Amino acid sequence: MRSRTSPVALVILSVALAAACDAAPAGRPGSSAAPPPAEHAAASAASQQATKLAAAAQGSPQQRRAQFEQHLGLHALQAVRLMRSVVAAAPDFVPVASASLQDNTDALSQLVTTAYGDANGDRFTKLWKRHITDLLAYARGVTGKDASAKQASRTALLAGAEAYGAWLAQASSGRVKASDATAGVRMHVQELMDQADAYAARDYARAYRIERQAYEHMFTSGAALAKASITPELAVGFDTPPEQLRSAFAMLLGEHMELIIGAQRATFAGAPEFDAAAAQVNANTSALTKGMAAIVGPRKAAEFQSAWAEHVEGLLAYTAAVAANDEAAKATARQNLDGIAGRLALYLSDVVRKEVPVEPLTEAITAHDRHLTDHVDAYAAKRYDQALQLEREGYLQMLGVANTLVGAIQKTVRPQLPVGGSQTGGGGSAHHRHR
Amino acid sequence: MTRGRRRLAAAVAALALLVGCSGSGEQRPEPSPAASSPASDRTAAGAEAARGFRSVHGYQATPIPVRLQIPRIGVDTSLDHLGRAPNGTVQEPSRWDVAGWYAPGPRPGDPGSAVILGHVDSKRGPAVFFRLRELRHGDQIDVTRADGATVRFVVQRTAKYDKRLFPTDEVYYPTLTPALRLVTCGGQFDATTGHYRSNIIVFATMRP
Repeated sequence: MRSRTSPVALVILSVALAAACDAAPAGRPGSSAAPPPAEHAAASAASQQATKLAAAAQGSPQQRRAQFEQHLGLHALQAVRLMRSVVAAAPDFVPVASASLQDNTDALSQLVTTAYGDANGDRFTKLWKRHITDLLAYARGVTGKDASAKQASRTALLAGAEAYGAWLAQASSGRVKASDATAGVRMHVQELMDQADAYAARDYARAYRIERQAYEHMFTSGAALAKASITPELAVGFDTPPEQLRSAFAMLLGEHMELIIGAQRATFAGAPEFDAAAAQVNANTSALTKGMAAIVGPRKAAEFQSAWAEHVEGLLAYTAAVAANDEAAKATARQNLDGIAGRLALYLSDVVRKEVPVEPLTEAITAHDRHLTDHVDAYAAKRYDQALQLEREGYLQMLGVANTLVGAIQKTVRPQLPVGGSQTGGGGSAHHRHR
Repeated sequence: MTRGRRRLAAAVAALALLVGCSGSGEQRPEPSPAASSPASDRTAAGAEAARGFRSVHGYQATPIPVRLQIPRIGVDTSLDHLGRAPNGTVQEPSRWDVAGWYAPGPRPGDPGSAVILGHVDSKRGPAVFFRLRELRHGDQIDVTRADGATVRFVVQRTAKYDKRLFPTDEVYYPTLTPALRLVTCGGQFDATTGHYRSNIIVFATMRP
């Protein structure tokens, strides 16, 4: 049974999970029982929902940015997967994927209304729904090899991009140029059309590569959408280096979650599609490792990659066991994942010099693992409602993980940065000559 | 419309779009990519592929930078390694005519801001970064690494900061965007301390 999550509740959920990264999903139908402490944490988070909602509605520009980033990134992924399910003729999955995309549109509309007001929110909602309808029509054109239908949809999508640009220019009181906003949406729709074409042509490597690009482009556009809603005075400090780091880690960790989900589903579609999806999982791991190198240096980054590789391999070993319907292998994989979570938590806690203790990190990683193992169980059993609900919860959880990790990194890194300016002048001759 | 009805309508619309192409005399689509072989065979092959999955291992650190070239201002220098001085400030380059790379920070081309410092002058005249302040948006900076590869950066802006207000985060704070910062001295020279009062900072991003 699909839970009826309202847009407001989704905003609450996002904030609650951000605030409690160690909270396991609460009350998931059919999911295995979460450990009592995590259930308690989830219940505690739920009890603070009213307060969190107020915080979300009046949130700081940075919070608004984080929410836009997350929901725009999710839009790209859900749209890709909906179009793909149309092309793959998966009639059981299409309505569920469509409803999930609609849920995200509701959440985005709520955010836009909070940021830009009711009238602009209404106009945005209409534009966004039209955009989704046109994407679906394009996918249908691809499926039917109907060139004229594809062209008509392309024309409609590009017209929608123009309308979006005009809307944002007006809604932001000119802080964003219509042409800039239009260009961003044009790129988005082009990527979505291209990936559908590639998927239909069984060029899975290209389809999955574009999917990742589309996610990253939409995720990063969240900053501009949030910034355009505030005055230049409020925008001071909006894009500081610590905020950029938080955003980048949130993007990569959310991407990790979603790419694993993509690889899990691709497993049921055959080896060529799995290989393409897995290549993007590896690309994400490489990007995360390079990111860690920027913070902790190359030696520690190599250690991170080993620990992370074990985590990813453990998740896909479980997926293989589910797809093979091998209960013994599933049990072994679950046991392995528990051990891996402990080791990864130990590593991360060490990196941030115990700013985050091992125990809550272990719980957060275990909750993340459980989202993914439960997801593939549900997907294999064709309980798509539940699978997509788990996907959403797991994805939103990653923002909390990123916030917690980056907060700890900030406390660890800042004392190590050089203090003050540099003494890189020795004579005063430059002063005289440059005058 | 209630939320439930809206969701139902969305699902119906999606289904209509999905199945609509088979009606009205339209050509029936060919088997979809995922439907061209029995599902059980595909899943078995997918399971086998997933079982054989190996994550990326063996992280190779990016080679260290060894040379800096800035054609616009005639800079061509090897690079020394700098660290943090005991008082927490960045070490000064030990040679007037050679710039230094802040080695605890990112390597050029990796995510984050690589930082290279150089003197503007000595008591005897101009030093390696004497003309750094002339760099403008679009100017090119090349960093050669130990493996011989060159990473190209493009100047975004050049700015002067009072040393008391040095933008530490803008220069040293980790980010995931590959960037380069060049730092030297500028502004008023304080003869009593023997130091300049400001720093000139060039902000550059990696060329894709």
